Amino acid sequence: MENLEDLKIMAEQWSYQGIEYLQKIPPTQLYAAVGVLLFTTILLLLSIRLVRRTKSNTVLLSGLSGSGKTVLFYQLRDGSSHQGTVTSMEPNEGTFVLHSKNAKKGKIKPVHLVDVPGHSRLRPKLEEFLPQAAAIVFVVDALEFLPNCRAASEYLYDILTNANVVKKKVPVLLCCNKTDKLTAHTKEFIRKQMEKEIEKLRASRSAVSTADIANDFTIGIEGEVFSFSHCCNKVTVAEASGLNGETVQVQDFIREYIKP
Amino acid sequence: MEEETEKRDDCSVNGDIDTIRDHERQQLPRSKGTNRRSSKMLEQLLIFTRGGLILWTCKELGNALKGSPIDTLIRSCLLEERSGELSFNYEAYTLKWTFHNDLGLVFVAVYQRILHLLYVDDLLSMVKQSFSEIYDPKRMSYDDFDETFRQLRKEAEARGEELRKVKQVGKPVSSVKKQGQVSKSGLDGGKKSSGSKKDDGDGDKDKVGSLMTNGNHKIEDDGSDKTDLANGKENTTDNVVLDPSKLMKLRSKGVRGRGGVRKTDSIGNKSSKVTAAEPPKKATKKNRVWDDAAPKQVKLDFTDSVDENGNGDHVDVAAADQGESMMDKEEVFSSDGESEDDDDDEPRSDEKPEAKKKGWFSSVFQSITGKANLERTDLEPALKALKERLMTKNVAEEIAEKLCESVEASLEGKKLASFTRISSTVQGAMEDALIRILTPRRSIDIMRDVHAAKEQRRPYVVVFVGVNGVGKSTNLAKVAYWLQQHKVSVMMAACDTFRSGAVEQLRTHARRLQIPIFEKGYEKDPAVVAKEAIQEATRNGSDVVLVDTAGRMQDNEPLMRALSKLINLNKPDLVLFVGEALVGNDAVDQLSKFNQKLSDLSNSGTTRLIDGILLTKFDTIDDKVGAALSMVYISGAPVMFVGCGQSYTDLKKLNVKAIVKTLLK
Repeated sequence: MENLEDLKIMAEQWSYQGIEYLQKIPPTQLYAAVGVLLFTTILLLLSIRLVRRTKSNTVLLSGLSGSGKTVLFYQLRDGSSHQGTVTSMEPNEGTFVLHSKNAKKGKIKPVHLVDVPGHSRLRPKLEEFLPQAAAIVFVVDALEFLPNCRAASEYLYDILTNANVVKKKVPVLLCCNKTDKLTAHTKEFIRKQMEKEIEKLRASRSAVSTADIANDFTIGIEGEVFSFSHCCNKVTVAEASGLNGETVQVQDFIREYIKP
Repeated sequence: MEEETEKRDDCSVNGDIDTIRDHERQQLPRSKGTNRRSSKMLEQLLIFTRGGLILWTCKELGNALKGSPIDTLIRSCLLEERSGELSFNYEAYTLKWTFHNDLGLVFVAVYQRILHLLYVDDLLSMVKQSFSEIYDPKRMSYDDFDETFRQLRKEAEARGEELRKVKQVGKPVSSVKKQGQVSKSGLDGGKKSSGSKKDDGDGDKDKVGSLMTNGNHKIEDDGSDKTDLANGKENTTDNVVLDPSKLMKLRSKGVRGRGGVRKTDSIGNKSSKVTAAEPPKKATKKNRVWDDAAPKQVKLDFTDSVDENGNGDHVDVAAADQGESMMDKEEVFSSDGESEDDDDDEPRSDEKPEAKKKGWFSSVFQSITGKANLERTDLEPALKALKERLMTKNVAEEIAEKLCESVEASLEGKKLASFTRISSTVQGAMEDALIRILTPRRSIDIMRDVHAAKEQRRPYVVVFVGVNGVGKSTNLAKVAYWLQQHKVSVMMAACDTFRSGAVEQLRTHARRLQIPIFEKGYEKDPAVVAKEAIQEATRNGSDVVLVDTAGRMQDNEPLMRALSKLINLNKPDLVLFVGEALVGNDAVDQLSKFNQKLSDLSNSGTTRLIDGILLTKFDTIDDKVGAALSMVYISGAPVMFVGCGQSYTDLKKLNVKAIVKTLLK
């Protein structure tokens, strides 16, 4: 008890001494000191934030209209696609931990997932999100693949030759959706077809003059048939089924590239 | 017959269904299923987010919809900036919708087209109100809404019944009057339009009501369906030209043929424009002789001495001398700052100074607080100013009107973000809408198409169509030059066999560019000439065939028929409509009539419409670039090339962002 009281008396004495000392200092110096302190703390915060920002955790879900992006988005978020979807008119964004049936141990960082509409009129929206993308999942309809092959390959080509993607070497996952259906194509077939189509695109677009305003970069190696291994950013292929909830491969891809 | 009486009792449909039913039964495809289900009038009601997730569907009306009406609605109407319209038709269904812009929800009701349900609008707004109360972004299923919906539906149906009874009393009187009015206007319409046929007569009659629900097939329906407000609106707009939803029908290939024409032909019939049909080519005129000297048959040919192959004394080879085409050059345009020029525009606007001051102050206040919900009255002045601005940039009046309506529909009820003014929100929404319209719906990579056709060992055929004097032949040569630069072998086909000098013009271009030309002289059937040209191209391995046609006015029935025949016979890969950027409101008329005729006069199989637009004389307009917008909006076809001068290199691509910026400056 006595110790406590002694401590209290000592604390009071110190506070009195502190206040006297402060009052002795002329006010301008005081304000200057406070100002400098504030300034340095703000600078520190900003710099920390800048350093942290280089590691973004945005994953883009892109692909043609009708390939199953919105279903996949809701599967990854909630584990079910609820009552169905219609053609999206606006992007779906969300920051959440990926829903998985078996709980994974360890710290799982929430992922910022963006589902960009695939309709061709809304293509400019993709350009808005590309700068912040850390990984891209390109969803392809494995069921109705051949009629849309050309359009899908053009879209993929535009993504792969985008300046942001090339400079930051953003990894791309070619996800073949709707594989639960019997007549869906295999991922190997789809991969080969896409490579062939992109090869044709490469020929038709780069055989033009040097000022190719359509695409910022060209991909692949000159003189060789295009293959996804030629890209400087990593391109992998996976299968998924949005309706059944089989999104394991997609989740693995996302977890691999969005490190906590 | 039993089924019919059953329907008449159950449905709250307007009185004179008998005439419709008899008429309809022959026209629309009917399956047995629809008859049995018709006791429920509404087929389906959906609520979904703008991001695409369906939040609620009515489980009572658990009918699977035939086809995919919702997706088609989104793709062809809402994303095409036609959300200001009142309804959308898809095969046997009519769809009505409403937005809740603040929460980002869309409410869509689907019902059978032949039933004219009055209560749908009412029901939609009630559903919107009650659903927005229970809406929570985190919740995904709303099963408790079923009960609420059932009650709302009963209310709405009851109200609809009352309205119908009220209308039935007043209907016989009004319908008789309507018929009298309409037949008179029909006669006038017939007299005014010269070269046209019965179609335009029907067009005038249907003009009165067909903008509303396109399912109206008889005039009697118009009288009973329309509210007085709608009628008043119809009567004031003299030039009810547009029916873009009809064009949607053409494009979707769902309805075609004469039936479609007779029913809803409200494509522009501008009474001010009296176009005389071309006189049939009679015997050639004899030369007039003024004095008594013997007529000297001097050959009036001042061309250089050239033989059949065109190898004359002076051969100007264009080839690589002119440098690259502007298609391949980077577009350098000054990127002005993103700051809006509203402060400059406000003093210049036509609003009264007092109202403007008050408006400005309250908008500033609102902008700072940022909590106001946007109402129609708030949006109106801003939208009006925007419409005026668009029209000064040479956008057709109806298009500007429709765009403003669409933007209004997408902004109503939205919360203003803080520190933004109403005008800037409206401007932003309009900019988004314009970019969406001008962005092509499909890829316009011609090179890719050419390569694809090459693989199939057939030539890629492009047909240039348009009215007189827009620059088809000149721009054809420019396109040929550009293709040649990219090592594609081109061949020209001179199917303009009417205009004097057309063949020589093309021959000169071909000589300068050193590409083969297929010609058969004048006064030959263009369709046959084109067919032979394509055969010749297949034989000598040309990659592309560019077919030049004669210019023709859109009202000219025999010429449009000839054009249709050319397209049906040859099945080109690309039908390119050449339009000049100087055109004003006529662009709407030209494109819609061209599309209309191409669809009507097409025979079995696929209907070919205009696939692309070539905009010419772009260098003559400084910043009045609105014609591009009108053309793209009304036809849905992307602008593939822009001609901006008279030399071979003056061909470039359309820069969407630059155009939008110029339009809204």
